[in-house]
Amino acid sequence: MGANGTQTAIIVMSSGSSSVDLRPDERLWARRASILSVTACLFWAALAASGASGSAPTTNHWSFEPIRAATIPDTSKPRATVANEIDGFILTKLAAQGLQLSPATDRVTLIRRLTFDLTGLPPTPTEVEQFSQDPSPNAYHTVVERLLASPHYGERWARHWLDVVRYTESQGFEYDKLRDNAWHYRDYVVRSFNSDKSYQQFMREQVAGDVLEPVTTDGIVSASLLICGPWDEAGNAQANTTQRMITREDELEDTIGVVGQTFLGLTVNCARCHSHKFDPISLDEYYRIKSVFDGVKHGERGIAGSEETTQRDARIQSLRQGLSTAREETARLERLGRSRAAAGRKEVSEAPGPTPYTHWSFDRPDAPALPGSTHGSARVENGRLVLPQDGAYYQSAPLTKDIREKTLEAWVSLADLKQGGGAAISLESADGRNFDAIVFGERQPRKWIAGSSGFERTRDLDAPEETATAGEVVQVAIVYRADNSIALFRNGEAYGKPYSAGTLQTFTAGGARILLGMRHTGGGRPWLTGQIRRASLYDRALTPDDVAASYRASGLASPQAEVLANLTADERVAHDTSLAQARRTQAELDAIPPVPVSYAGTRVQPKPTQRLRRGDVKTPEAVVAPGALSALRQLSAEFDLAPDAPEAQRRLKFADWLADPRNPLPARVMANRVWHFHFGQGLVSTPNDFGANGARPTHPELLDWLADRFIASGWSIKTLHRLIVTSDTYRQSSIMNEKAGALDADDQWLWRFPPRRLEAEAVRDAMLAISGQLNRTMGGPSYRPFDILKFPANAYVPVDKIGPEFHRRSLYRMNVNSGKEPLMDAFDCPDPAVKTPRRGVTTTPLQALGLMNNAFVQRMARHLAESARRTAGDEDSKAIQAAYQLALGRPPNASELARALPASRQRGLDSICWALLNSTEFVYVR
Amino acid sequence: MSDNSNSLRTSTTSAASAQPPLLSRRHFLWNTCGGLGGIALAWILDRERATASANLASASSSSARLAHFTPKAKRIVQVFCCGGVSHLDTFDYKPQLERLDGKTLEGKGENLGFFGQPGRVMKSVYDFRQQGQSGSWVSSLLPNLANCVDDLCFIHSMYAKSNNHTPATFQMNSGFTLNGFPSMGAWLSYGLGSVTDNLPAFVVLPDPRGLMAGGSINWTSGFLPANYQGVPFRTNAREPVLDLSTPAHIPPQNRQSDMDLLASMNRDFAEANAGDSAFAARLRSYELAARMQVSIPEATDLDSENEATKRLYGLNDESNRGFARNCLMARRLLERGVRFVQIFNGGAFGSPRINWDGHENLRENHNTQAATMDKPVAGLIQDLKQRGMLEDTLFVWNTEFGRSPSTQGIGSPGRDHHPTAFTCFMAGAGLKKGFHHGTTDDVGYFVDQNKVIIPDFHATILHLLGLDHTKLTYYHNGINRRLTDVHGELVSPILT
Repeated sequence: MGANGTQTAIIVMSSGSSSVDLRPDERLWARRASILSVTACLFWAALAASGASGSAPTTNHWSFEPIRAATIPDTSKPRATVANEIDGFILTKLAAQGLQLSPATDRVTLIRRLTFDLTGLPPTPTEVEQFSQDPSPNAYHTVVERLLASPHYGERWARHWLDVVRYTESQGFEYDKLRDNAWHYRDYVVRSFNSDKSYQQFMREQVAGDVLEPVTTDGIVSASLLICGPWDEAGNAQANTTQRMITREDELEDTIGVVGQTFLGLTVNCARCHSHKFDPISLDEYYRIKSVFDGVKHGERGIAGSEETTQRDARIQSLRQGLSTAREETARLERLGRSRAAAGRKEVSEAPGPTPYTHWSFDRPDAPALPGSTHGSARVENGRLVLPQDGAYYQSAPLTKDIREKTLEAWVSLADLKQGGGAAISLESADGRNFDAIVFGERQPRKWIAGSSGFERTRDLDAPEETATAGEVVQVAIVYRADNSIALFRNGEAYGKPYSAGTLQTFTAGGARILLGMRHTGGGRPWLTGQIRRASLYDRALTPDDVAASYRASGLASPQAEVLANLTADERVAHDTSLAQARRTQAELDAIPPVPVSYAGTRVQPKPTQRLRRGDVKTPEAVVAPGALSALRQLSAEFDLAPDAPEAQRRLKFADWLADPRNPLPARVMANRVWHFHFGQGLVSTPNDFGANGARPTHPELLDWLADRFIASGWSIKTLHRLIVTSDTYRQSSIMNEKAGALDADDQWLWRFPPRRLEAEAVRDAMLAISGQLNRTMGGPSYRPFDILKFPANAYVPVDKIGPEFHRRSLYRMNVNSGKEPLMDAFDCPDPAVKTPRRGVTTTPLQALGLMNNAFVQRMARHLAESARRTAGDEDSKAIQAAYQLALGRPPNASELARALPASRQRGLDSICWALLNSTEFVYVR
Repeated sequence: MSDNSNSLRTSTTSAASAQPPLLSRRHFLWNTCGGLGGIALAWILDRERATASANLASASSSSARLAHFTPKAKRIVQVFCCGGVSHLDTFDYKPQLERLDGKTLEGKGENLGFFGQPGRVMKSVYDFRQQGQSGSWVSSLLPNLANCVDDLCFIHSMYAKSNNHTPATFQMNSGFTLNGFPSMGAWLSYGLGSVTDNLPAFVVLPDPRGLMAGGSINWTSGFLPANYQGVPFRTNAREPVLDLSTPAHIPPQNRQSDMDLLASMNRDFAEANAGDSAFAARLRSYELAARMQVSIPEATDLDSENEATKRLYGLNDESNRGFARNCLMARRLLERGVRFVQIFNGGAFGSPRINWDGHENLRENHNTQAATMDKPVAGLIQDLKQRGMLEDTLFVWNTEFGRSPSTQGIGSPGRDHHPTAFTCFMAGAGLKKGFHHGTTDDVGYFVDQNKVIIPDFHATILHLLGLDHTKLTYYHNGINRRLTDVHGELVSPILT
């Protein structure tokens, strides 16, 4: 139909009356248009009669009815033989419209269609050749089985699933930070499809996998579905309580939305503010389901399974016990040696330690580089800065130079080991808001930490608790390096493992200052009680050797040699043995890998859920108990759980309800999705909405038959694929038929196989595959085709990166919210925040520009040419044939070859390959 | 049919729930055009209809058919000032703040700010004067916009849903505070199509200093088909649009021969599969692409503008950091048929601040930002006016929320976010001139009269472009979605 006709159609439909003045030729088009829309009108009428146009929602809706094992239609009349039952259903409907199936398509077209459908990749020329030549009656089935067994099958169908569940690898919203480890869920989905996991199990796992016994890694990861969409980090962190509550309600609506739409095909989320307009879902029921998921929160968590965790915990505990025993023994012997040495000890002459920027030696006459004064009850006495109680501290004059890389060091004896929060030494900004300090016992009892403003540069340490007795002097030091790494030391030895956190701060001359005995100005519980002998600030990051040298040079602590010299030979052996034991055990502990972490969501035990009037957090109403939808009358919507039931119980009950074979929705919804991805349109054309506002099935009996077979097969998705792709309906030609097109332009009755443009991922993957560049590595962290500009928020700049890592399948592309990849975008890659049951398909100049000029496409064209040359050699006509075989699965015909040959000779084979990658035939499956 | 994103049976349900004609029109179009590639065809047909008329002026009849009713505006340009412009220091003069300066603000309920550190009342850091015939109050911050007031139509009673930048920015752009909803520009492209083949319908000009938070989410097509999303022009780069130019290593004559070869391949394929409109649409998309390769560089090349025009926008002045170029480019794009140009003033959040987020020191921050914005935007308004384009162009100036009357923290000279009252203005087609709508209380904390929520603002913009916001809908996952959700009242007092 031409432009003119369409325009008239617009007028007819948009005016809704005859007042628009039509020209005679327009009237003709209008009449034709109205004939074409007759099926639609019939459908409107049926729908209006069913009550969806405004009357109260009904539970008699078709999709709430039990699945009926339909009678298979007798097809002997329209056609003698059919491939399977599907064709019976299709033929019956076609016959009613005066239509029939198209003839079977040719083998080349068929294997290309099937290979893309099942694996998202094109068949290789060899695969095409083999199938074309295979005389066996089972030739096609062999291909089907080969493809279903291919690991690429799971990659292909995982991509479809991830669209539906709005899987994203960044937070979205303001900061849009990366989710480095969300990919565990993507890999779980790939594995599930590849192993043909029972869909019943697949469902159960994705709502409650983390609490299904025994808890496994897969189980924990599977429930990522609940939270794998965007998350408003800033909204959760803000000061305003009401706004924070709204943010949380938005999160839960998203979770409820994805569960309802994905598994039930119901937009349960629409009932957040008022009972559902079209479906029998009450406000109350929305909040009962909210109660099911109220304990689910965004975030990362460890994903070790219970068995793994038990083993790991037991091992860590036993090692820690051993470590503690060994350390205690070492310390006991050292104390012994130290006390023996103490009596007649003299200062040992050691090499001088590193020179600080400034230091205080209260036990020596040398003046501090920076003057300072005591405050509160602090006093300098007997060569010690004495800090007897809260409020006592020492403050220096402002720094005389900017300090960036640095080392803080103090020689301190603590009054007691129960205190917490005080600092031996602190470097703070003039207003006290920014600081780095050596803090004792603040977050972990009896341990030293690198205290910092807002804990930005603070991490808890796996280090021994302090054992120094009152009066025993201990050296503590913290090194801050330019690479943001931070290392702690005690008595010249590493204290815990170095780590990276926050950003190295600059403390500026004229403002910043040193505090001794106080964590920072304005802080809560900032006081240290005890004595400080010496303190140093270095304007550089000391090496571990420097710190050890400083320890030795101080003469304050007994050098190790002196301590040991005061032990008996037996004691020394015992000391060395326990020291070696402690070091070995520590090494073993350090070697235990950290628990793998994934963005799988965290759990809390929520307060009982209250219904919110009009969805407003300011108008909470009655408390509700967890439950499900009463519209599905075959099942009880009651969970018999109290409103304060453990959150795990709630989701387990929901999983049972969801996956109950009597629940008529999940099997229908999933069977329809599989159909949708094979034919480009579902039997229900609104795959996420089986409610009254959604579409009716074109073939309700067929849908039920598929759902029934699906359940009977043990919820095997591969069984559905087999049934569908071996049908004659699937294997028919896609050639246009004008007569049929006039009757059913949309091909909703499937009188031909509907041609379909490849999705963005398939276009890109196909280019990689045919040019020999595809890196088939499966799973693991995603590749990142962008640079990140960091403010507090991430900004993603798409970059055409080169290398095998970036030649993995597009499934492994890190799909972030705020930075799109223009070429993928132009091919309708959906916004990752949107639950997308079906993708749009557009054809635009920007898409053409992308294929024409994008650097990736140029490279792939060149590689395709090289690939063709490799197989075909130097002869142009053979190379052209090879390129056609790779790209389109077929050789060029005579006129194509005649056209391509001079072009190739004149401009190179790259030109032909570029044209192939841009061709309609390449980006479409037929 | 496979490629239709909104289907036949979807449209039937739409009709059953009294769907608007526009949606029916679109669905109908998809349903009756040979199915395959319906959207593609729709895209192209929108343009063919428009190009049938030689220019914009004579395209009115077809535009009117497209719209729900006769539009006042044929195109729209929006200046989005990111970060939250203080209404109290620009257009909403509050003498009471001078009296309360340094005092604690009482009786306003829960603190609305983002950081929750209410300080003391701070009077405007600028002097206010009445300007123009209309006597509109404008602060000394914006001397150039002060000269435009008699053409402007102010709304002082704006009200945003969120006190947090990105959700508020999303709401201003898409009506929703969440990710994933189509931007207004996408809705307009969907509703009205384009008027030219040679340029995208919806062009975004990000601040040359960088993208605002949320980046491309701000011009996403959400669940609408991807062709309706905004096309960001890289106004600093060699190529205004990524992949626009033929790669340097390919001689132009070779590319032309390659394009001819490709066209013959695609033509053969379309002919062998006659009746599938999508295959024809693909052929056409390459013709249009080739045209864009010429028209986009032409539209974005400012060299042909005369010196007076460049001066009007402040193009030669470094202090606006390239923003003036975007304003001038916007006018050129509008002239050449772009439906919606969205210009961002301000980039991402962080330090140093490159947007209007004056938490620490309002004066310092707004001085810097105004130096980028005032003259170029005033220049754009004046230029549109002197060319007669303001007659049928809608000009919109907005921010995502205002700033608090109290300081952020005691003794600080900065202001926190403030969602419950702020000022935006529009100008041009269908709007009263030198007009002020809505008032706030004596300290600019809450709206006093005529509250305008974002859906009202959107409904009014759609109205001026000839669209009924209740009828511009798209079915997605169970809901017939609207830009205005279930809200939106026309702000009729501002209309002529």
